[in-house]
Amino acid sequence: MENLNTMIKPTWCPGCFNFQILTGVKNVVFNELNSGKKRDEFAIVSGIGCHAKIFDYLNINGINTLHGRVLPTCFGIKIGNPNLKVIGFSGDGDAYAEGMEHLVHMARYNVDMKYIIHDNQVFALTTGQSTPTTEIGFKDKTNPLGAKLNPLNPIKLMLSLNVGFVARVFADVKSVEDVLKEALKYKGFAFIEVIQPCLIFHQDTGFKERIYSLQEAKHDKTNITEALKKAEEFDYNDSKSKIPTGIFYQKEREIFEDKFEQLKKLKDKKMSWKDIKR
Amino acid sequence: MLTNVLIGGKAGQGPNVLANIISEILVKTGYYVFLSREYESVIRGGHNYNILTFSDTKVYSNENKIDILICLDDNTELVHKSKIRKETLVLRNKDNKENIYFAGKLLKILGFDFKFLEIEIKKLRNFDANLKNAKEGYESENSKFNLKTSKNKTNYFMNGAQGVKEGALKGGMDVYFAYPMTPATSLLSELAEKQVENNILTLELENEIAVFNAAIGSAITGAKSMVGTSGGGFDLMTEALSLAGIGEIPVVAYLAQRPGPATGVATKTAQGDLNIALYSGHGEFSRVVVAPGDPIESAELTSALFYLSQKFKIPCLILSDKQLAESFYTLNGKANIVKSEKLTSLKRYNSYEHLDSGEATEDTAIVEKNVERRLMKANEIKREVEKLETCKVYGKGKTLIVGWGSTKGAIFDAIQGLDARFLQVLYLEPFSDKIVAELKKADNIIVVENNATAQLANLITAKTGIFIKNKILKYNGLPFYSDELKEEIKKRMK
Repeated sequence: MENLNTMIKPTWCPGCFNFQILTGVKNVVFNELNSGKKRDEFAIVSGIGCHAKIFDYLNINGINTLHGRVLPTCFGIKIGNPNLKVIGFSGDGDAYAEGMEHLVHMARYNVDMKYIIHDNQVFALTTGQSTPTTEIGFKDKTNPLGAKLNPLNPIKLMLSLNVGFVARVFADVKSVEDVLKEALKYKGFAFIEVIQPCLIFHQDTGFKERIYSLQEAKHDKTNITEALKKAEEFDYNDSKSKIPTGIFYQKEREIFEDKFEQLKKLKDKKMSWKDIKR
Repeated sequence: MLTNVLIGGKAGQGPNVLANIISEILVKTGYYVFLSREYESVIRGGHNYNILTFSDTKVYSNENKIDILICLDDNTELVHKSKIRKETLVLRNKDNKENIYFAGKLLKILGFDFKFLEIEIKKLRNFDANLKNAKEGYESENSKFNLKTSKNKTNYFMNGAQGVKEGALKGGMDVYFAYPMTPATSLLSELAEKQVENNILTLELENEIAVFNAAIGSAITGAKSMVGTSGGGFDLMTEALSLAGIGEIPVVAYLAQRPGPATGVATKTAQGDLNIALYSGHGEFSRVVVAPGDPIESAELTSALFYLSQKFKIPCLILSDKQLAESFYTLNGKANIVKSEKLTSLKRYNSYEHLDSGEATEDTAIVEKNVERRLMKANEIKREVEKLETCKVYGKGKTLIVGWGSTKGAIFDAIQGLDARFLQVLYLEPFSDKIVAELKKADNIIVVENNATAQLANLITAKTGIFIKNKILKYNGLPFYSDELKEEIKKRMK
């Protein structure tokens, strides 16, 4: 039986919601391995921040890369070997601050990879500064006057960029598991925002009570107009509105790897560039 | 019989096409040609020019003095007034003729049969109109040079970017990532052109940060990965260069220099980025930096870098510049290509200091051990590089001229007839014992560099303790011309 653990003892704070994400991801990969996939068919990439420690606790090939560079690194891995199943992990700082330039373009490239954002609305590992999804008024040592800017709505952004798989879930094992399973079935760039409180630096605004399931609410995930409407319900700023979770939008379009003869050939022959003798 | 032809005009008038046609004919008929190209950041209008230098003996640079000046517009004569001497033949464009008309004129002046031009015109669009134009120009002149033609079968005409391309393809490159930036873009176009036939992939990404990080991604899957840029783009890549250092990931980077700082002079040449090639990227890690001086060396060194980067799992850099990348050289003989295997496999990599199994660590003993192991590699790399050609010495004269990269051509041409020899540094990092030995036995050293602070001279001082007082530096965006360089060298010879 495959074991996905490493020798490293997690250093996340006790009770951190990142444990939920880790377990959810592990369960999904574990199931994949049980159904015949091999561990070296997967590659994971994490950035810098609390989220990134997931690389240390998940014994799968890949790289814990630079801050903000998860997406181009995932992209490069897919270019190097289009047969790999690539999962990228970022925090909200990693994805929306340092790495925003890549996020926008990755949406255009539509490489077949899955991207999980651990959004706790705060830079936690640097002890609590505001990120692009932090609400107005948030105070910390570097923002004693309170955060002044409107937060970004990543769901709206991804929908506006025509991303073919846009989801948001709360950080519990089951939700992460369910959505990642769906994402792996989807062929293309899958964007999964996982909202989570940070126990130390960003208090829970009652996420658990505020969330509701889009799928249970019979949301039509093939309808972009409906998806955009749903994305508007929570603006990452107010602490009272309901928060829709689940898959906002899903529609396949041609992936990057299929647009290039050279990559298609590698895929068809189940090869990577490394196998090409010159 | 060294002859310099300057062909100038507005962007869009095609001085470049004209220069290329005549060069092709000269090379084919047994002459040595060196063709450079100067242009501005202007798509239509402005002032562009080519200097075509030809001779019946080897020539690898232009001269400052002009023998034939072809003015496709009035401005050309004004701009190059200072280079016009009594003997200079000036062709003006009073009737607003096209470049092909002047190709005909020049061909006749040189004394060639018209058939040579007809062959070249067949390669262009609008054959009939061009042929008529060319003939008209040809018939309007008399032969002044009466050049003899001989059948040349072995010489070929190539620029530095094409040399790097050859080295990359034969060195086994799989993927090339870049963001357009002059003067590195020509390599991207060269590689992109036949990528399907060559079974490689070239990709233009959103910026240089993505470029280098994507190369890291593909490199860790085992693909031989390369990136290309100029100074400003390279600055953006250096964080990821540092990642290639700690992650021990093989990426080959092509750095084609132009004058900085910042946007600098976008379409001119310089050698101002040796320091960033050597020292950029935070932290301490090993790398190899090479500087070819012509297209054949570009091919050879590029292929060698794929070998070294795979063997030692390090980032490697090729320094070129606008002068080398875009100038055409008449060459003979094959490049000595270094073949190499793909030695990298997907495992667990980390940008943090890490355990062998890939997980991050802050354990001070492991940190220390890792730093030492990565730096120890420098010794192994040096041992390996010493087996390769790390420098070349030309001539036997007393004064030692030292240079690197694209200045090779001008230095080589300038020392002909002087009591001087030329030490060309090919590997700047690691710094070879052979170079040190050459420097130590010289009693008068002159360094020649296309920069303002003599970055090679400073490197030499750092590596050997030898202080070089005699420096010939040029930093106005133009390359060295062999005649002006010769005069400067003479002044500094004992």
